[in-house]
Amino acid sequence: MLLTIVSPARDASGQFRAMKVKEVTTVTCYHCGDPCVEDHRTHDNKDFCCQGCEVVYDLLSESGLCDYYSLEKQPGVKQRNTVDEQRTELFDLPEVRERIVEFSEEGITRARFHVPQMHCSSCIWLLENLHRIEPAILRSRVSFTDKELVITFREDRFSLPHLVKLMRRIGYGPQLTAAPGSGKAPGVSHIMYIRLGVAGFIFGNTMMFSFPEYLGAGTEAGLKTGLQWLTILFSLPVVFFLSTDFFTSAWAGIRSRQVNIDQPIALGIVALWTRSLWEVFTGIGPGYFDSLAGLLFFLLIGRWYQTHTYRALRFDRALEDFLPLIVLRKNGAAEEPVKVADLKPGDRIIIRDQELVPVDVILRDGVGHIDNSFITGEPLATRKSVGETIRAGGRQRGAVIELEVLRSFADSRLKKLWAEQSRTLDRPVMPRLIDSVARRFTIAVLLISLGAALFWWGKDPAQVWPVVTAVLIVACPCALALSMPFAYGHTIRLMGKRGLFLRDAEVVERMAHIDTVILDKTGTLTAREAHEVQWHGAPLAAEDRTLVRSIARSSTHPLSAVLVHELKGGSVDAIEVEEVAGQGIQGTVQRTRVRVGSAAFCGHVEEHRTNGEAHVHITIGGLHRGHFSIRKRARQGIVDAVAQLGRRLRIGLLTGDAQVDADLAEAFVGGSMRTRCSPTDKAQFVRDEQAQGHRVLMVGDGLNDAGALAQSDVGITVTETSAALTPASDAIMDADAVAHLPHFLRMARSARRIVIASLCISLSYNITGVSFAVSGQLTPLIAAILMPLSSVTVVGFVTLAVTLVARRADHS
Amino acid sequence: MSVIFLLIAASTLVAAVFLAAFVLAVRRGQYDDDRSPAVRMLSDDRPHTNATSLTSDLAPQKERGAIQ
Repeated sequence: MLLTIVSPARDASGQFRAMKVKEVTTVTCYHCGDPCVEDHRTHDNKDFCCQGCEVVYDLLSESGLCDYYSLEKQPGVKQRNTVDEQRTELFDLPEVRERIVEFSEEGITRARFHVPQMHCSSCIWLLENLHRIEPAILRSRVSFTDKELVITFREDRFSLPHLVKLMRRIGYGPQLTAAPGSGKAPGVSHIMYIRLGVAGFIFGNTMMFSFPEYLGAGTEAGLKTGLQWLTILFSLPVVFFLSTDFFTSAWAGIRSRQVNIDQPIALGIVALWTRSLWEVFTGIGPGYFDSLAGLLFFLLIGRWYQTHTYRALRFDRALEDFLPLIVLRKNGAAEEPVKVADLKPGDRIIIRDQELVPVDVILRDGVGHIDNSFITGEPLATRKSVGETIRAGGRQRGAVIELEVLRSFADSRLKKLWAEQSRTLDRPVMPRLIDSVARRFTIAVLLISLGAALFWWGKDPAQVWPVVTAVLIVACPCALALSMPFAYGHTIRLMGKRGLFLRDAEVVERMAHIDTVILDKTGTLTAREAHEVQWHGAPLAAEDRTLVRSIARSSTHPLSAVLVHELKGGSVDAIEVEEVAGQGIQGTVQRTRVRVGSAAFCGHVEEHRTNGEAHVHITIGGLHRGHFSIRKRARQGIVDAVAQLGRRLRIGLLTGDAQVDADLAEAFVGGSMRTRCSPTDKAQFVRDEQAQGHRVLMVGDGLNDAGALAQSDVGITVTETSAALTPASDAIMDADAVAHLPHFLRMARSARRIVIASLCISLSYNITGVSFAVSGQLTPLIAAILMPLSSVTVVGFVTLAVTLVARRADHS
Repeated sequence: MSVIFLLIAASTLVAAVFLAAFVLAVRRGQYDDDRSPAVRMLSDDRPHTNATSLTSDLAPQKERGAIQ
């Protein structure tokens, strides 16, 4: 089943928004489209999956904004607890305001928010109609490519925290992006657009001026010279404004003694221009100015098409991106927000459920269930009691805890780990196809022109210069230089639609050379939040399951939450509920005593327990019924995907966990598997593979993969929740698309083959042209026809071929 | 036939004006976001009542001279 993603956007919890083709067998929510399972509500003849969605619908219909639902089906963003949500009062802090507020005077404030959840036209419409919900909002404007919203509002009537609260209510809560300034990829710059416009203008006009000459309507001498001077005038910006990038790149290549594709191009431009000027001044002919303009026009289009970047995504990371900006510090009885960088040893901080621990601490109050999977790769949360140390970077999954700071952020182990990872950059350089082609091409061209010069020197010396310049002109690799931008640029776009977002076009070529694929386990092969729950024991009836759920709902233990989620069914009220920390929870439901918890708590002797699994035992009415084994579920289709990869490439699994589940391990038979890997172990493994001459692709998601990702030839980060938590990489992959990895590699390999095929096509054009040139028959008309023709053929072929290959592979 | 000089000059001038307008549009950032304008034009224009109340509110505030 193919996934299509319209744009890399996220919903309230950070989940990537995918437009899936799904069969509607269950009732789906009118607002967000999720199936209505647990909390199904009906209101106004419409179904909603939860109270959150219903509330948003109410708000919108009250404000007369139901057009939101008519622009797109089920456009809503589901209300989930955002992982790194800061309290709205924090938006009053000067540090936060600095980042958001652009202008504030006389009660009117303009603020710029980053809202990655926006993904469709309904979102744009709603966000620009906020003034209809709240009169204090004057206007709001969306910039969809950056996922930004600029709101002008009356701050004297409606405070900034209130505004943030409103945005969160409708599902578009702003996310505080991290370090300022380290931000936006430039993408297509203004200069590039201006150059394109000027190139088009000059191309069109110059072609028009050349028509009289081509059509033989020579006529008045005045007209002819007039047009010629006009053409010369127009050619000046072509050479001195449009071509500057090619000249600088060619010069840089010469200085570093390397041949690149821009050198023959620069040579061609110079040859074209000087030859044309000479022809006009000596009155021999009209010159090749139209070919020159056309050449630049096509080359610039190629450059533009290639620089497609995803401005809303960030591929580079600073350590500060991973951490919360502000944390609550206890000051006597009160809690005050304080910047993480300002924490000192001895400070007491409060960390709540789902929040990240920003510095190394000691637990002082509460029970810690710390999930370190991001840092070390261990999949399940470890329990920490008072007095134990907790490392920075772990995430608390449970109730509120109070911690004492052990080391400041600057001294934390996290920072040291980060520094270690950033040092590894001795990634082997992969030669680009285009450069080797350029080398051979340039040599061939020089040899041919030399040969032609010698030939004509003997035959008719007056023809030497014209022939040599003609060879240089027609050998200009316009079509050659277009095949790669279009093939790789189009591949990037197609991959983006299928869930893989590349940093730039060069990554495609590196992917085509890959022969080894290494995967991380926790978070990559297994989903971070999805669990596999299996019951061991005599089958449980539906009533029993209800009993279990009723008790488990009152527990704060993360495993209880998993049980509640996975066990479908209803629940009733439980009384006399008592939770014993670290042991279990017991209570009375429908006059039956139920216990849920560890083996000892349920009066049972623990048998063999496999690592990576948690066991939750159930005792109903004093009788031990069995246990649930809970572990992280492997992603759908991943085992097949790995098998598919293994058929063609070398595969490997590196994990920080102590053990790998049987079905996953089976998929990696024949490849390498390493457990208990530290981050440095992973990076070293990649280095060893590269030392043997292999090209490595690494897929990971946590901080423990950062070093390996940087070291590999291609590093892909998997993300399913908040984007702030992915290490730096060459590409970002949506979690749903991980199973499509073989497909992506195939696309990259095909792209490369298509490039080679199109190189052959363009070479045939070059050969035709050169044969004209060498025999002294290259008229401006022929040149003017050959070049656009070759460019259009190559571009058309490449684009069609890439699309066909992608579509054919989709259906297989 | 010599009118063709005038014609060429005039049409080139017109084309140049359009080029200048394009350059201006690019520099003002109109090409930065290519998705929202397409959606924005689909929605109906309702009067911005909030904006008009803005000016009427400012005047009394200034008269009062108090900054809250």
